[in-house]
Amino acid sequence: MEQIEIRALVQAVLAETKGLKGYFIVRAQSRREWSLRLSNGRLDRVSTGGDSGYGVQAFTKEGASGFANSDVLALELGRTLIDKAIRLARRNEAIGSKRNRQIWEAPQIQEEVRNPAQKVFGEISLSELQEKVISLHSRLRDGFPEGSWQTSYRQIEEVWCIGRSDGTLVSFVIPRAVLMHQGTVRDQGKAQSTLIYRSGMDATVLFEELADHSLEKKAMDRAAFAKAVCSAPHLPSGHYPLIIDYGLAKGLAHEAFGHAVESDHMNESVLGEAGKLRIGLRVARPGVNIIDGPLLGDWAYQPFSANGLIRQTVTIVKDGVLVAGLGDIFSGEEAGMPVTGAGRAESYGQIPLPRMSNIRLLVDRMLPLTPAEHLMDEVKVVRETLMQNGELREGEKNLLLLGYRGGQVNPKTGDFVFQCDGIIDVADPNLPIYQPSIFSGKILSALEAIRGGLGEGCFDAIGACGKGGQSVASSGGSHRYLLMDVDQQVSLGGEQA
Amino acid sequence: MKLVAQLEDLLYQSQQAPKKEELRLSAWRILVHESEAVSLGIKDNSPGSVYTPPSYRQGESGEVFLVWADGTCSQAIVQLPFKNDPDYWPKELEQWKLASYEDPDATHIPSPEPLELVALEDRAIEQIIAGKDEVLFDQVKQWLKDRPSEAKMQGSIQAAWGYRHVRTSTGLAVTYQQSQFISWFSFDSLVGGGFVKRRLIRPEEREDLWVQIVNQYEGMKKEAPPVGPQTQVILSPSMTEDMLGQFVLPNFSGDRVIEGQGAFSKENFLDQKLVFHPHFSLLIDPLRPLELGSYMVTPEGVPAHRTVLARDGLLQTPYLRVKDAVRWGAKPTALPQGTGGLYLKHQAEVPWEEALQGVEDGVLVLSVLGLHTQEAVSGSYSLSAPHCLRILKGKIVGRTDVKLTGNFLADLAAPTTKTAQASLSNLPYLMIKTGVQTL
Repeated sequence: MEQIEIRALVQAVLAETKGLKGYFIVRAQSRREWSLRLSNGRLDRVSTGGDSGYGVQAFTKEGASGFANSDVLALELGRTLIDKAIRLARRNEAIGSKRNRQIWEAPQIQEEVRNPAQKVFGEISLSELQEKVISLHSRLRDGFPEGSWQTSYRQIEEVWCIGRSDGTLVSFVIPRAVLMHQGTVRDQGKAQSTLIYRSGMDATVLFEELADHSLEKKAMDRAAFAKAVCSAPHLPSGHYPLIIDYGLAKGLAHEAFGHAVESDHMNESVLGEAGKLRIGLRVARPGVNIIDGPLLGDWAYQPFSANGLIRQTVTIVKDGVLVAGLGDIFSGEEAGMPVTGAGRAESYGQIPLPRMSNIRLLVDRMLPLTPAEHLMDEVKVVRETLMQNGELREGEKNLLLLGYRGGQVNPKTGDFVFQCDGIIDVADPNLPIYQPSIFSGKILSALEAIRGGLGEGCFDAIGACGKGGQSVASSGGSHRYLLMDVDQQVSLGGEQA
Repeated sequence: MKLVAQLEDLLYQSQQAPKKEELRLSAWRILVHESEAVSLGIKDNSPGSVYTPPSYRQGESGEVFLVWADGTCSQAIVQLPFKNDPDYWPKELEQWKLASYEDPDATHIPSPEPLELVALEDRAIEQIIAGKDEVLFDQVKQWLKDRPSEAKMQGSIQAAWGYRHVRTSTGLAVTYQQSQFISWFSFDSLVGGGFVKRRLIRPEEREDLWVQIVNQYEGMKKEAPPVGPQTQVILSPSMTEDMLGQFVLPNFSGDRVIEGQGAFSKENFLDQKLVFHPHFSLLIDPLRPLELGSYMVTPEGVPAHRTVLARDGLLQTPYLRVKDAVRWGAKPTALPQGTGGLYLKHQAEVPWEEALQGVEDGVLVLSVLGLHTQEAVSGSYSLSAPHCLRILKGKIVGRTDVKLTGNFLADLAAPTTKTAQASLSNLPYLMIKTGVQTL
């Protein structure tokens, strides 16, 4: 469905609410996806399709809400969904639910944002895409034949339109594409896997990869590293000075910090007090900054919130001090933070929650680093740079954590965990490799431990935010590497010391 | 006209009398779900907050798998068209043809076989969907009334009901009703529990679950002595499920085994290699009445039947979809629905109450952080588990925080590993000796 059609549908559904008491938000989404996957030289799956539909969120005039949605994008259903939503809202009012009338305060906006894609969905045919992905997959297998390889390519286009009772009508298109290589390697009877990706807005990702093969080189380097990890020893568990790559730094900023400043979490956040964000709290050393906001061309780009407000770029931490949170229209004010259009939803079928877009962690104290073409060459450059700047301590392990496998945080207690692909001791000239082990601790301690950045900003670490059982595109990063001091509240798992 | 009927018409015509010869189908398969669901949540002790309002959802969508006359195949996700356009499906068909690819192993569409009947639908849930939804609102009110006064409660309750349609060009035409009921709650986001089946929770189950979680919450209030290297680690049933889902299930996936991306090789299965302790068996059983992992027929049209993945510790078969089965040279097996339908059996299982009495020095792990980040192929884990319950001399004595280090595949092979039966779960408590230290 095109933007013009989806706007017309939302307007028509909203017209059905005229004369009804209360307030209505209509969210419609038309999503198309093409995906293909190759496994060890065979085309394993090519799939086309999408998921479209719309939802009606109704509010009684007292502010109790109800929600109804359908995966049929048909105007005839509009009246049914409106009736269902308002009936549920009234039921909700009767059980003493917490009322929320903040939506009445939202600014009226009318905007139609053009599709930012360079190659619009469908411009490159599926057969051409297949050809390109097969070619990339074959090269990778030839280059690293001892690995078992899967290559996937996904191309998505989401057309959104949000309309509200106050006349607000915004529509926008989110294009996304990602190329991924997943390898499994074995050594000495043990196996390890590695996953590496390159993302962007559209099929340009494939054209760029065909031109420079940078993902292929990374995949082969990571597979060689994974092979070395298979037979690597475990580290003794303990507290170490750490260097984390920007993928892990994105994880730290997103999981360990970003969730703790979302406005709906203030009653349970380590960064909240009596339901309000602890603005003014020093959470990191001077010079540490955390920023969240959409970047054009990025995996998590979204120009408007799912409630129809402009998505703002927010400096959350400035010079080590907590200055703002990620507030949506429903809980921002109550949480003591400005409303910044932070509401995002996986689809028309879910209630939007305050959440991040692209979050990046930057430090004023940055050591320059010239990225190398190959992984272990870059690790050597990291070691040399740190030595030249007096950052490596004699007789002490300095551990470089490579690759981000995901993480989890309890925003209430501030406990976090992250997992990496493997670990290298850059204090040792032999650069010994160790098994991955859990990187865990308290989020405020981890932030406090950040002492500097290494290299320029890299913000293309991608993922999916699983908050509230939804799956929403997220991204972010930091300097190429972040330096962290040893901290008694931040540890690496591993064998018992 | 229903989606399944539109698709049947389209595909039948494309097989028998296509408008263009290049669009002729030789075989096809359709899966369509029609469903309706209602839900209600609690956030921070508030029922039906703006983030968890009472909600209604209806859906009608599915997928098609097509084999073209030239031997190529296509698959696509399908929904009802948004406007009444007679050219919609013919255009879709052309689009699907453009997306066709060669995968000879995938082109086999099984012939219909007799189906075993299994109960998948609770009529009481259909009534909820039809509007008699007081049970959801009453349950939420009851939870909030009974909750520990100091606890910040989160929760959700959802009922779903609908039809599942499977059609194939080989003559299978199955439509059946199925239902689903999910409820969960937590206190302070630290302790929680849930119920997931194809039927409503019974009053006694609701009471048992509530008492169990409240007791765990109360147990968390007191600091307990730290663990030592000899402390026995006990995984709660939900943790057992999570660990099986992370480390075991992926390694029994047929396509991963065939592609050499699992912990076990095809030869390991053919040789029936001993990988777990002989007391353990692992199976998929989709025929248990009203379980979430139960079904009548797979999306590919294969009738439900029990499949033993490992018997007495010996590998038997990975789970095989039709394509994997063709490549493996065997019949398709039962399929898990997530971890639903997966059962772990131990020959010496005892009830949990009895097992607890025998624990001198233990720690009960209710949840861990970061499990999904662990390496499935190796089975190794390094996990942080804040908020565990310490057990001393057969009694829960308070809260402790631990770190776990080990290998789950090795845990299942160890003679020291035992299980204890859980009354509210299909999976057991798992009692293991593994690396444990204070967090």
